Amino acid sequence: MMNLNLRPILSALTRNRTGAVLIALEIAIALAVMVNASWIVAQRVQQIEQPSGFADRDMFAIGVAALSSHSDLGAAQREDLAYLRSLPGVVAASATSSVPLSSYGQGTSLSPLPGSNAPMTWTRMMEADDATLQTLGVRIIAGRNFGASDIRPLTKGFFESYPDVIITKSLADKLFPGGNAVGKPVYSGDSTPMTVIGVASNFIPSVSDADAPAYDALLVPQAPGDFGVYFCLVRTRPGMTAALLQTAERHLATSNLDRVIFSAQTLPYYRARLDAASRDMAIFLTVVTALILSVTCLGIFGLTTFNVSTRTKQIGTMRAVGARRRDIVMHYLVENAIVLVTGGAVGCALALGVGQWLSDQYQLPRLDLHFLAIGIVGLAVIGQLAAWHPARRAAAVPPSVATRTV
Amino acid sequence: MLHYYVRLALNSLRRTPGLTALMICAVGLGIAACIVTLTVYHAMSGNPIWWKNGVLYAVTMDSWDPGPPYDPRHPTLPPPQLTYKDATYLASSDIPKRKVIMTQLTGMLYGAPGQSVPLRVMTRATTQDFFAMFDVPFEYGGGWRGGNREALPEIVLSKQVNDELFGGADSVGQSINWNGNRFRVVGVLRRWQPLPRFYDLVNNPFPPPEATDRVFVPFAWMAALQALPMGNMTCHGSGQVDNYQQFLGSECLWIEMWAELPSAAGRERFQAFMDAYWAAQRKSGRFQRPLNNRLTDVGQWLRVNGVVSSDSRILLRVAFAFLAVCLINTVGILLTKFLRGASIIGVRRALGASRRHIFMQHIVEVAAVSVAGSLLGLALGAIGLAGVRAIHAQDNTYAMLAHFDPLGVAWALALAAASTLAAGLYPAWSVGRLPPAGYLKSR
Repeated sequence: MMNLNLRPILSALTRNRTGAVLIALEIAIALAVMVNASWIVAQRVQQIEQPSGFADRDMFAIGVAALSSHSDLGAAQREDLAYLRSLPGVVAASATSSVPLSSYGQGTSLSPLPGSNAPMTWTRMMEADDATLQTLGVRIIAGRNFGASDIRPLTKGFFESYPDVIITKSLADKLFPGGNAVGKPVYSGDSTPMTVIGVASNFIPSVSDADAPAYDALLVPQAPGDFGVYFCLVRTRPGMTAALLQTAERHLATSNLDRVIFSAQTLPYYRARLDAASRDMAIFLTVVTALILSVTCLGIFGLTTFNVSTRTKQIGTMRAVGARRRDIVMHYLVENAIVLVTGGAVGCALALGVGQWLSDQYQLPRLDLHFLAIGIVGLAVIGQLAAWHPARRAAAVPPSVATRTV
Repeated sequence: MLHYYVRLALNSLRRTPGLTALMICAVGLGIAACIVTLTVYHAMSGNPIWWKNGVLYAVTMDSWDPGPPYDPRHPTLPPPQLTYKDATYLASSDIPKRKVIMTQLTGMLYGAPGQSVPLRVMTRATTQDFFAMFDVPFEYGGGWRGGNREALPEIVLSKQVNDELFGGADSVGQSINWNGNRFRVVGVLRRWQPLPRFYDLVNNPFPPPEATDRVFVPFAWMAALQALPMGNMTCHGSGQVDNYQQFLGSECLWIEMWAELPSAAGRERFQAFMDAYWAAQRKSGRFQRPLNNRLTDVGQWLRVNGVVSSDSRILLRVAFAFLAVCLINTVGILLTKFLRGASIIGVRRALGASRRHIFMQHIVEVAAVSVAGSLLGLALGAIGLAGVRAIHAQDNTYAMLAHFDPLGVAWALALAAASTLAAGLYPAWSVGRLPPAGYLKSR
């Protein structure tokens, strides 16, 4: 049976008090940073992995702008879509006013009630045609899709309101928490109702700089281009996106000189751009956390090594009076554990404080305590591993050392 | 004497190469992390027109509808943009020394000699004070004067557009098509891209290349050509909008306004002017929200619009926590290392070295670690910034943020040297306080 007497270990610890205190402090900071950083990283990873809800991998978008206010964008649009649909490998093509996952887009606020005092829900909006949902690979889960005759041709109108609209499931649940949205009216700040004719499965529409990506979208049946710009959204067969984008861009650039191609990108490009900030944050936090952990481990390793090397004679004496090798190893591991526990306790308080501060200051969700628990266990294991090697070296000190002078 | 200390220090460092390398690496890594985050933070939080702080003011009024506030996350702030009615009325005041109203739209440029493909350019429609107010540098010509309604409308090109269409030659006096109308070039800018783009934060403070202002046209011509804005536009109200005149009269917010008000008296007078306008409009049924007319200077404007992302603030703090851990680690290593040499110190003390000498000897050793760590930190920091640039190769503006500016380097060096020296003070001091006698005895 191992005899665990803490007295000599504590007294040994106080011999190099400053060293132990410094390591405990390091452990505390490391724990606080590690726990909160991994909490932030977990959320960013979640955001990067958030499903788009549509066939973004197999899509590209071509932005078209009128050369002047006299350009006939309606005709250009019909011509472009006919060409794109004729390409072998294209599954579907549609003309819209915005590109999902990109910052090209509009927003509006909607209410289930008329009048300006009604509670409003902010949503992204998209001028769409009868092929838009098919192009996106988004299903109608209630009601119906737009028919070709629903789509309003491009006129020089301003801020029209539409008799029929489609909304996503997420938006429908916000506007009509009670249930079925199909057939109900929605209002956009004025008294003209728009009727929800269909509810689409969730997908991420265009994204504003200010808000996190969400699944709320309003689709209106309108040939896009009232601001002189429209987008051709195209879905291809898997693996053909890049090649078809190149072909289409080359053809469209010169097929109609009354308008200009100003952007031609795959949807994965917009996705990468959308996730760039989160990805950077996750990378940097992971690297720095790993570095903090390594530096802390090196500190633990260094302290234990120092303690072993300055106490060679004492270790020899302990061995000479009957301590076994594993007692010596145990001595150093327990000594290290005391430092770890002290640092860990301070670190816990620090981690909770930092977590609280982060959620107050930056509206981050409150720290999940699982992360703290895992962090403590992880740090304890790594910390003991760092002391393992020097402790083994201590155990290798022969008892005969006790009989020699320095 | 110093030479002797340096030799002693180098000897001591050479005796324990592992520990020395560990200390230098730890300090270097900590410094590098701080350099990278500080550079990005500094570039984001910088005021690109600091010499005009307290002179330039963003003009805002709360014309939003009486329901929920414009931005529910900042309920006390008025919207950042104005309606056409309000902007044109406020800009008619001659109280400010200079004033400017503006919006962003897109245009097609074509008809330059030898140009085969039209060029889509982000365009700023603005008034004539823009260039003088924001100290915009000209390569050729200057801003427009206006006045002569008979002549062709005037256009100012950015350096990039002039390089692309006119091969960098002086194009003043040439004519070019913008959205189907002929314009006369009156000025070409030098390279000018203030970041953050303080004068238009609503449409992205760090615009990617395709959203950077390329040409400038007179605001009055935008309305004359019935062009629509292509930036942030937020509307409320139920007024029917069927034509351009109704659009101009609508409650849509799409115009940014700035006023140059160098004196406090001028500011008060302009504030009173705004408030009087607000009161008169309120009587006719507009401005149903509480009075919230604001003049906000550039620094404050950058802050209230949250230009510095919370991510970069968090990263900065994480980097400093990391540096703290690295320095604590270095203190620990130095302390144990110095104490291990206590018997030698005992001998030196017994032979007559004073405490000051012992302290000096050790602080020189600390300084050597500090210098080596700082140099390593600078090198790693430069590599880290190159990494940030590489990751952001596509959007060149973020890459511009992460440049290695000399002032930043100076700061980083000072930070590195000061922090390591501070970290080494305690070990050097405590080792000098050891009683020599105890260490002379054998252990």
